[in-house]
Amino acid sequence: MQKPPPANEIIKQGLWLENPVLKHTLGICSTLAVTNLLVNTLVMNIGLIFTLTLSCATVSILRNVTPMRIRMMVQTLIISSYVIIFDIVIKAYIPDISEALGPYVGLIITNCIIMGRCEAFARNNPPWPAFLDGLAVGAGFSLVLFAIAVVRELLGFGTLFGFMVMPEGFTPWTIMIMAPGAFFMLGIYVWIVRSFTMQFNK
Amino acid sequence: MNKRVFSVLYMFMITLFFTSLVTGVRAVNEERIQTNQKVKLQKVILSVLNIPVEPDASSDDLLRLFESSVKKKEMNGRTMYTVYDPSGKTPARYAVIVNGPGFWGPIYGMVALDVDGAKITGIEFYRHQETPGLGARITEQWFKDQFTGLPLSQDPDKKTFFSLTPPAPEKSPRELDAITGATQTSRAVEAFLNKELESIKGFQGSNEEK
Repeated sequence: MQKPPPANEIIKQGLWLENPVLKHTLGICSTLAVTNLLVNTLVMNIGLIFTLTLSCATVSILRNVTPMRIRMMVQTLIISSYVIIFDIVIKAYIPDISEALGPYVGLIITNCIIMGRCEAFARNNPPWPAFLDGLAVGAGFSLVLFAIAVVRELLGFGTLFGFMVMPEGFTPWTIMIMAPGAFFMLGIYVWIVRSFTMQFNK
Repeated sequence: MNKRVFSVLYMFMITLFFTSLVTGVRAVNEERIQTNQKVKLQKVILSVLNIPVEPDASSDDLLRLFESSVKKKEMNGRTMYTVYDPSGKTPARYAVIVNGPGFWGPIYGMVALDVDGAKITGIEFYRHQETPGLGARITEQWFKDQFTGLPLSQDPDKKTFFSLTPPAPEKSPRELDAITGATQTSRAVEAFLNKELESIKGFQGSNEEK
């Protein structure tokens, strides 16, 4: 079995080189759905990182026992268990945000980033690198979501984390609150990042 | 061991483990979740019935206030919440849950009526999936306030209790302002609320015993 990559390599890959949203266009559902308010984005990010790190670690711990042919079933089971636990906890402690996120918390289960990392990395590597990989990819996802959410909340509501920052008389851009706003922002970011990396690769 | 048998057994064991884990977490938090949902509904009921709540009231305070001032009962398959006048004898106002399809999903609301069921004294929308900033503005104070004082009787021509029309300076009392930019939500609210009000009408009278 090949050796796992060093920690700094894993982090660089997850955050930037293999950024799930910008480079692989994965996890778009939640990117569009929850980025209209920074608070919602924050909770979504915590949920995703929680699920991703623990799922990767668990899949990795069980990697030598899990029969190859049922590994997908096992992964789905592990992922959904962590997501439901997260859902229960936010319902109990932050009901308002749980209400605002609605079904999107449950939909973390189907976020392709998680199963993607389990399949691509965790099932072939020891628990600690797998955990780190989950953390790095989760952070990469979160960064992009924050970048989108800052612009959407600022232009759509004139606020940041619920505090009014735009001057009096500012007209909110309603389009930024709706799904198209997220599409625009995501497109712009992917465009910028792609053109930068292309320049580097020349 | 046979590979297939092992796969089945393995899946069984791991499912058992994880479902127990989830059930455990659920059981620990069950009470909290129930309380949250109860408090949320009670806040809506208190607000629609015009019972003042202190802004920093804890959920225990809220529960006590609710228990002491609101009575719940079932009537014609609807849950009714009654608030009594200070003497505690005669009912002052009551609130009923209404719901119907919105533009994106079901809308749940609560309508408060005076004791004769002649006038609307308040309205709240507490669960909906309308677009934030557009249809979701049904929860804004100016929109809800328009319903206060609306007589619970139908317009003889149109057979409706109210209609939502674009804001204009000269309007009849039954014409309320629709939400600009949220025509579909406004239409949906108009349609389901008129229907619900019709079924609520005639609840009064049955409310007088006790």
